[in-house]
Amino acid sequence: SDFYHALISHMHGRRASSLAGGWGGGGQRGENMNRTANPAQCRQPVESAIFKVCIIHNGVVSLHSPSVSLCLFLQAYPLSSLSKKQPTVLVICGPEQNGSIGLVCARHLRIFEYEPTIYYPKRSPHSLHQDFTIQCEKMDIPFLSYLPTEVQLINDAYNLVIDSILGPETDLQDVKEPYSGILATLKQVKIPIASVDVPSGMLLLKLRLRLLNQGLLYTSLYKCCFCPSKGWDSDEASTDGINPEVLISLMAPKKCATSFSGKHFLAGRFLPYDMQKKYELNLPEFPGTECFIEL
Amino acid sequence: MNHSSGEKEPETVESLRYLSKVEMEVLVTELLKDYHFGQQQLIEIWGHACAVAITKAYPLSSLSKKQPTVLVICGPEQNGSIGLVCARHLRIFEYEPTIYYPKRSPHSLHQDFTIQCEKMDIPFLSYLPTEVQLINDAYNLVIDSILGPETDLQDVKEPYSGILATLKQVKIPIASVDVPSGWDSDEASTDGINPEVLISLMAPKKCATSFSGKHFLAGRFLPYDMQKKYELNLPEFPGTECFIEL
Repeated sequence: SDFYHALISHMHGRRASSLAGGWGGGGQRGENMNRTANPAQCRQPVESAIFKVCIIHNGVVSLHSPSVSLCLFLQAYPLSSLSKKQPTVLVICGPEQNGSIGLVCARHLRIFEYEPTIYYPKRSPHSLHQDFTIQCEKMDIPFLSYLPTEVQLINDAYNLVIDSILGPETDLQDVKEPYSGILATLKQVKIPIASVDVPSGMLLLKLRLRLLNQGLLYTSLYKCCFCPSKGWDSDEASTDGINPEVLISLMAPKKCATSFSGKHFLAGRFLPYDMQKKYELNLPEFPGTECFIEL
Repeated sequence: MNHSSGEKEPETVESLRYLSKVEMEVLVTELLKDYHFGQQQLIEIWGHACAVAITKAYPLSSLSKKQPTVLVICGPEQNGSIGLVCARHLRIFEYEPTIYYPKRSPHSLHQDFTIQCEKMDIPFLSYLPTEVQLINDAYNLVIDSILGPETDLQDVKEPYSGILATLKQVKIPIASVDVPSGWDSDEASTDGINPEVLISLMAPKKCATSFSGKHFLAGRFLPYDMQKKYELNLPEFPGTECFIEL
């Protein structure tokens, strides 16, 4: 695509100058979060831009998921904090990349001695995602064949729910069963929900396109009512989404997450400095070798 | 993680297994075929774990030179790619890696790793100085990811024999990935390079029994089934660490 070619030539140009000038990297590591980018600069959402660079999907998912699970283990929901007898966690995985991130996250949670259970109603036909499924099965992680509609069963069986159903790439016009049913159930659960990247079901396609056209850096991937001052039309109000306790943004926080009132983490520490600078992400400094940080 | 009946300390009957070359190959093949791990995924996991182990063995504050420079020498096969990924993570951890990758693999997988490093502005040397003092002066340590357990030592030609000869003379510390390059993975080495640190991947190799420096085990992802099946008796990794000092 156009962007890819632009990025490659950018890369070559950059290399030439950096070899002459020594360390060009370093990035901008200020405390400044969520800067609105110069509209002239951004042509695409950051996520799809990165996916077009030579980082294979396998790699991207692998890079994200350990960060998510580490974040959960160390900060958000340490084993010692879980109230039930067994450290059970329900991981709900959607059909696309967000779902695969959930699968790998579940595998890592298992390594960290949680007891994850996966609900993965619509398996992706993509061989890459199938690999992740098999890896989980071989770690003896149970897969549910259906999600109880009786919410109390979920409340009783699990300590928390990991929502990796829908991600920023989802076209919300397309959200059908079983996901709308799952989201309806999730709205009623009493146990905490931690969402991966985006709380599932938050955005209407129309709104997303409009914001892209306005040249905002991030598609607004969050619930309308968190940003009441933005003046969006009431008929474009988002569907009532779920209300997670924890949001784990991947790579960079999404714009309206500034109004998210729960615990907000940024996970995934691998973005090339070039990209960080180019999109003026101003990511915070990750402590030591940590790959996540609380915002 | 060792899940056998609750004991914490490895007893003599259940001590950590050191694998032979053949056993390693069987293990990796099974991981790829039966467990459907991707090769890129494995290399990424290992490279990252190596980098984290390096930050423990050689923390930024302990480096004596003004800049936290590290020389990463990468061979043509998987061991080299692990070095590339390790370099990239070291960059993220604020070291200043420089890569020497004389023979680039034609495999597209490995080329991707090269591009990822280039895009992190990691310099690639076009040649390795034979004047050892230049290396001693410029870098704090060398990461040896030249040859791995899969290498057939009969096949080692230039430029690797020359590189190994240079490495035998450097004064700065060497950290080897998986096996010290030039060592036979099954036997004690007689005249090979002498790294200060060895970072074994997944499980230590037989040749490491004679290794006398700091020995780490890196990479925490092996399914329990495999650990039991091959009686690896891996030690318990602390907390969420992906490496452990043996």
